[in-house]
Amino acid sequence: MHHYMKIKRVPELLERITDPGARILCGGTDLVVKMRSGAIDPTLLLDISDTEALRGIEGKEDRLIIGAATTVSEIIADRLVAEKLPLLQTVLRTLGSTQIRNRATLGGNLVNASPAADSAIPLLLYQADVNISGIHGDRRVPVEDFLVAPGKTTLTSGEFVRGVSIPAPNAAFGSFFHKVGRRKAMIIAIASLGALVSMKDDVINEIRLAAGSVAPRPIRMRELEQAITGKLVTKALIEHAKTMAINSVSPIDDVRASADYRREVIGELVARVMRDAVSG
Amino acid sequence: MKIRFTVNGRVEEKDVREDERLLDVIRDDLQLTGTKEGCGEGECGACTVLIDGKAVVSCLILAPQVDGKEILTIEGLAPGEELHPIQRAFVEKGAVQCGFCTPGFIMSTYALLTSNIDPSDEEILAALEGNLCRCTGYAKIIEAVRYAAELMRRQK
Repeated sequence: MHHYMKIKRVPELLERITDPGARILCGGTDLVVKMRSGAIDPTLLLDISDTEALRGIEGKEDRLIIGAATTVSEIIADRLVAEKLPLLQTVLRTLGSTQIRNRATLGGNLVNASPAADSAIPLLLYQADVNISGIHGDRRVPVEDFLVAPGKTTLTSGEFVRGVSIPAPNAAFGSFFHKVGRRKAMIIAIASLGALVSMKDDVINEIRLAAGSVAPRPIRMRELEQAITGKLVTKALIEHAKTMAINSVSPIDDVRASADYRREVIGELVARVMRDAVSG
Repeated sequence: MKIRFTVNGRVEEKDVREDERLLDVIRDDLQLTGTKEGCGEGECGACTVLIDGKAVVSCLILAPQVDGKEILTIEGLAPGEELHPIQRAFVEKGAVQCGFCTPGFIMSTYALLTSNIDPSDEEILAALEGNLCRCTGYAKIIEAVRYAAELMRRQK
């Protein structure tokens, strides 16, 4: 059986974080499920859900800093986020259910490092950095490099996620998000696609695409972005983008869908975003 | 370990095991068995209670985590012998069949209506998306939530 410790201040966390078998607990919406299924068996739980220094949302110059222990519901209700990072709210509204969003945290969703992590899509698109602290000091890593593989991040022993630093885009982006699953609530995406697009007439001025559940980690589709930037959106370009998208992902077969189906879906979602960007 | 928290307005002090869930404390220690265990992994919402006014699934919360918090369970809704308007609405609109999911649905509805007394259908669906019912087909539940909102507006 594990021991439990409520962390009030960050120094207490640093003191215990390297204890053998220690795990950080926050909302518990992933961790408690894994503990009960026997997938993990921590001996010490360090609960940061009431650690004030790791909670909250603040604007600093052109960036928003969101504490790791801030809940998804708090982010959805925040005015500053609504104004600066609307796509973050659009995506987080689709995460879990009301009960889950009231407990789940941004930091938790990131360190869980699921290939389907909803929060990763807007964070990749907004080019956020992960603020990491640890017994050897602080460092900052782009979200794109932070997520490595299913359940794996670049966190090393003695480190934890303090929060996320997100630059508010200065360009006027249209934002798009599609998540495909069997129902709207409580699903883990079969495939998802988010996009920030700025158009000049029907020409793509700038585009950022991020996809979930089609690779070992949520990914930016940089090659595809480059291939269609500066181009006039035509039927032929959409077809080309679709093919590129299908070939650029590496999904797996699992209980939710086959790899082939996921490839088809991601191709279609890319086409949908491009069509909507033109008509919008 | 010792924790101190409020349940339905009453201060409780309990010695809990560190791996016990809030759900276990509510059902086994406090004998408040209105809160149900369905899936035990946060998918079905049968164990929904409120912590500091917010709907949560008590199967994914460890008992030590609620130290200092305020819990509301289905037993805390009715002010005596009379039903709460939400309970009345569920009965009158036939939103209950086997009844297993009902406490969870009512707690989610309570969290919604105490923060938003005039919700749109979309807001009702979002508030209830974490609750599963295998009998009713949901239509009557949604109807009951609309009616409960009306009853609560009239009370104000």
